[in-house]
Amino acid sequence: MRRPTITGLVVVVGLLLLADLLVVNSALQDVAGVVVDATILVAAGAALAAGAALVARRLGDLWRRRGDPIGALLVIAGVAAMIAAGLRPGSDGTSDPAVQWLLAALLIPIASTLFGLLFVSTIAAARRSVATGSREAVVLVTATVVTIVLLVPLSGGIGSWLSDAGGSVLGSAVMSVFRGLLIGIALLGAVYAARTMLGIGTADE
Amino acid sequence: MSERRVSWALLGPGLLVVVLGAAWLLPELPALGLEASDDGAPAGMGATFDELGPDPLVLVGFDADIGTYAEVRPTVRTVMADLLARDARIAFVSLTVEGRAVALAEQARLERAEANANRLLDLGLIPGAEAGLVDLTKGIRPGENPTAQAFAREVAATGIAAFDAIVVVGGNDLGPRSWIEQVAPRIEPVPIVAITPSVLLPEVLPYVASGQLAALLGTPRDGAAYRATAEVGPLERLVEPGGPRPLPVLIGLLVALGVMGQALVVRLIGATRSLGDRDDA
Repeated sequence: MRRPTITGLVVVVGLLLLADLLVVNSALQDVAGVVVDATILVAAGAALAAGAALVARRLGDLWRRRGDPIGALLVIAGVAAMIAAGLRPGSDGTSDPAVQWLLAALLIPIASTLFGLLFVSTIAAARRSVATGSREAVVLVTATVVTIVLLVPLSGGIGSWLSDAGGSVLGSAVMSVFRGLLIGIALLGAVYAARTMLGIGTADE
Repeated sequence: MSERRVSWALLGPGLLVVVLGAAWLLPELPALGLEASDDGAPAGMGATFDELGPDPLVLVGFDADIGTYAEVRPTVRTVMADLLARDARIAFVSLTVEGRAVALAEQARLERAEANANRLLDLGLIPGAEAGLVDLTKGIRPGENPTAQAFAREVAATGIAAFDAIVVVGGNDLGPRSWIEQVAPRIEPVPIVAITPSVLLPEVLPYVASGQLAALLGTPRDGAAYRATAEVGPLERLVEPGGPRPLPVLIGLLVALGVMGQALVVRLIGATRSLGDRDDA
């Protein structure tokens, strides 16, 4: 059986913040403020810990000569360069010109290029999915083809018609499904939290 | 995989880049245009800015996603130029590391283009995701800002209430939805407008319909239509020259349509044949 401590904590904190939003009470506001500050600290600590864990993992890979040594070296060099630029004595932190150069001249173009490659890999993946004969893939790719046609950048009356048709598809069909999904996921989350707090497991546990 | 397929897999992407590059160099075709948008979004953005008082203070929640930022970048730069042309003072804040990286690059660009530094304030990165947004409504602590000291003092004294409008540059997890859910109920009503890539439309459009978002530029067409109408006067240097060309966009769309359409047609033919075989049997 799952331990309900974490779920219970989340529910209590959520209710506290909700009460702070709805009820004007200075004591409640102070408590909610402390909770929010603690959450920020935990989130910042978790982000730092994740970065440190990544570096430790890559150092371990190099030490034990496993995995991809070039990739590990590049990750460590990248982290070291950013730390040196931002934390060296006399640095302006994230506003330092060296940090800004690393971001604007290296990080953003490299990351954008990687995302640009997704164009090729995504349509190749879509093609392969259809080739496997999956009905879901056929429906998904057919809907994508229709959407792409609506995005064709024509000017004049046809362009306006396509734009309006695209807006209608988004505003009715896609939106209805998306809202339904959101409501479903929210309900599922609430039921899961309640079951965990009450100690009710699923049938296979 | 056959030898021919291997050759296509290796040469195809390179060939596509060459064709897109060539298309970029060709002159504009009158039949193509990105700015065909009749949904009123560009006008809504302009009208929201028109309603701001003189010398407005604008908070920009900059949490773009590096992958999709190219889609909104020209529009974001035009919005910044438009706001500065209206004598606005702009404060940047980010809640994600990725958003902070892009925000820093954009602020450095504004600095290089000699935008008035007294009107730009960097509020930095606030960790904690939604909790950080809630914290932002309780008080703002600007760091050292040697160029915009008066602006920083005003924001430190008044907090988020100092701002006349909020512009959210979305793309990441913490986009317009988070601002409307976490910030809007906790502050006095101010117009919140957003610039987002198309991928966020299903998430953001309901807030436009409900009026919680005063305006949204959420598609390349909306962005192009807004850029075509924005009057930035002498601050033209802050705007991205050119902008996306429709012909390369069209070629990219046609390639995607061709690849996926071919797969669907092959699948359809296969399904028809198997139905025919079953009937024969």
